[in-house]
Amino acid sequence: MGQIQLTDLTKRFGDTVAVDDLSLDIADEEFLVLVGPSGCGKSTTLRMLAGLETATSGDIYIGGDHMNYRVPQNRDIAMVFQDYALYPHMTVRQNIRFGLEEEEGYTSAERDERVVEVAETLGIAELLDRKPDELSGGQQQRVALGRAIVRDPEVFLMDEPLSNLDAKLRAEMRTELQNLQDQLAVTTVYVTHNQTEAMTMADRIAVMDDGELQQVASPFECYHEPNNLFVAEFIGEPMINLVRGTRSETTFVGEHFSYPLDEGVMEAVGDREDLVLGIRPEDIEVVDAATDDTAADAALGDHELRMDVTVVEPHGDQNVLHLSHPDQPSADDALQAVTEGMHLVTRGDRVTVTIPPDKIHVFDAETGTAVHNRRHDQEADLTQLEQ
Amino acid sequence: MSQSSSTGSFDVASLVEDVNLRRVGQYALVVFFLGFFLVPLETGIMTAIKTNESVARSLPFAPPVGEGFTLGNIQFALEQLSGSFFNSLVMSIPATIGSVLFGSMAAYGLTMVNWRAQMGVLMLFVVGVFVPYQAVLVPLARFWNNIFPLARMIEPMVASIPFFQGYHAELVPLVITHIAYGIPICTILFRSYYQSLPNSLVEAGKIDGASITKIYRRIILPISKPMFGVVFIYQFTQIYNEFLFAFTLVTGSDAPAAPVTLVLPAIGASTSGIDFGIRMSAAFLAAIPTLILYVAFAEQFAKGLRTEA
Repeated sequence: MGQIQLTDLTKRFGDTVAVDDLSLDIADEEFLVLVGPSGCGKSTTLRMLAGLETATSGDIYIGGDHMNYRVPQNRDIAMVFQDYALYPHMTVRQNIRFGLEEEEGYTSAERDERVVEVAETLGIAELLDRKPDELSGGQQQRVALGRAIVRDPEVFLMDEPLSNLDAKLRAEMRTELQNLQDQLAVTTVYVTHNQTEAMTMADRIAVMDDGELQQVASPFECYHEPNNLFVAEFIGEPMINLVRGTRSETTFVGEHFSYPLDEGVMEAVGDREDLVLGIRPEDIEVVDAATDDTAADAALGDHELRMDVTVVEPHGDQNVLHLSHPDQPSADDALQAVTEGMHLVTRGDRVTVTIPPDKIHVFDAETGTAVHNRRHDQEADLTQLEQ
Repeated sequence: MSQSSSTGSFDVASLVEDVNLRRVGQYALVVFFLGFFLVPLETGIMTAIKTNESVARSLPFAPPVGEGFTLGNIQFALEQLSGSFFNSLVMSIPATIGSVLFGSMAAYGLTMVNWRAQMGVLMLFVVGVFVPYQAVLVPLARFWNNIFPLARMIEPMVASIPFFQGYHAELVPLVITHIAYGIPICTILFRSYYQSLPNSLVEAGKIDGASITKIYRRIILPISKPMFGVVFIYQFTQIYNEFLFAFTLVTGSDAPAAPVTLVLPAIGASTSGIDFGIRMSAAFLAAIPTLILYVAFAEQFAKGLRTEA
């Protein structure tokens, strides 16, 4: 069984703390993605799991057995490295077979058979007698996977395995990896700094920053109910809009605009003064305003703003708009909004922007923790998805 | 029309354009240094195939004419050197293989395996590179002659090996000394190469369940083939050409176990004067093994230098 349990795991390199008191349970057959910026300790965590680093303190259990003092070979794991680490002087066949040589219970013929079997699963059977430097990046990637699969481990560890591939191939391999993991039903811990990979592949995402675990949740939850500012910022492309400001009575006052907070939000905010208002770009509603400015200004609702479009980034399916306040045109973008691809807006347009009160996130500016997340009726949302 | 006229006329000016003072200077320098290095070599070869009379009468670098040509010098030198050639190879081949192999192993242990006090041990190796030969000569001689007379102990054993004589046992302490003295520099050379290898290769090996020795044998050793070429050539040249240790441990050119470097100074020198023809022949013969090695390993050598850079 491949369930993994990490308790109070800490790793120090001299004075720097790479991983700080990390506790994490990973279920059998789960696909967990460890994500975070470089230097956040995600790779160190993976390497401790693999047995390439020893934990300073804390315990590692795989399948219920204590692993701290076991060599990598006896942990029943396989690892895929970022640079694939294929042995350059060996053929693909020898590369895949190498890991099998130390496994007991195989005869030499059975080992050869197993190598061919694995190569066929991955579609690299015709490459078996080539050397790694005669293969393309995608093929090398497959060989690296084959080397991991061949020993039939309980746990796969993957350290940014797709980061050396070009964008198109990466998307392809992403689905392939997911299918493979599904097929083999092996617990997988996957490290990446790429939030798209994390969102698309994971059963659950573990977001790390500065050695500490920020949130462990499904991609859906990480996106819509972030624990804190870091998670909100890290997950999502284009990034969530964050506006720093203060509270005066029941109104949020930011640099570019003020925004009334409704009762439910106020309850959660309590008497905090410094706040950060968050809103996902696709939740902002953009309406072409009437040409008459004064009339439009007068007609503005509570949650509406008048803004100038400074940059339009067409993506085909959607347009990303950079918006700034009409009175401070030189200032940085106040907001980014995403509109439908068919909704044409040109640079320089003045538009009316609605920030729906039920879609906002509010964070404590000092601690960064989320005090209020967007309201969403999960069941209603999900039934909508199923239709 | 304009096209045909432009191709039809040959532009002489474009030739002159390429010739400028800088280029002329460059080529002059190249030619000068070519001569600087090749003339002594040519002079040596010419002297080696001239009779004594011809050496005395013609210019040093002029080729021999008619009666002045002889292969006698080379033949004589070869007879004089043949025994010491064998000695030299018996000494330098095992000593080179030993120091290169141990150096590579030590470098692997010091670079790709983690353990405490690694830095301290590495420092010892670095210090070892700088220990001067002269400082160890007396202790070395005393050790191999009085404290641990290995040569005398294994003499009967060596005598029983085909093609070997009892006196060849004297080379064994010399081989061991050369290995010990060569390990530090070989280690440093290999270390710089191993540091440039990705660490993930060793880690992948560990995950695959290979032991430290298996990782060395199956992964690191085959990968470092080009580096072996470089270090092997360097170390063989060093040991083959070495004089001081050989002189201390084998003593003198008349000893039957003397390697080439001990015999060479005595050839062609007698009370009646110096025979330049024989001396030159002997010198070229002595240089042949290292030349062969360079040619044989040229590809590996170039590859190794490339990868190191």
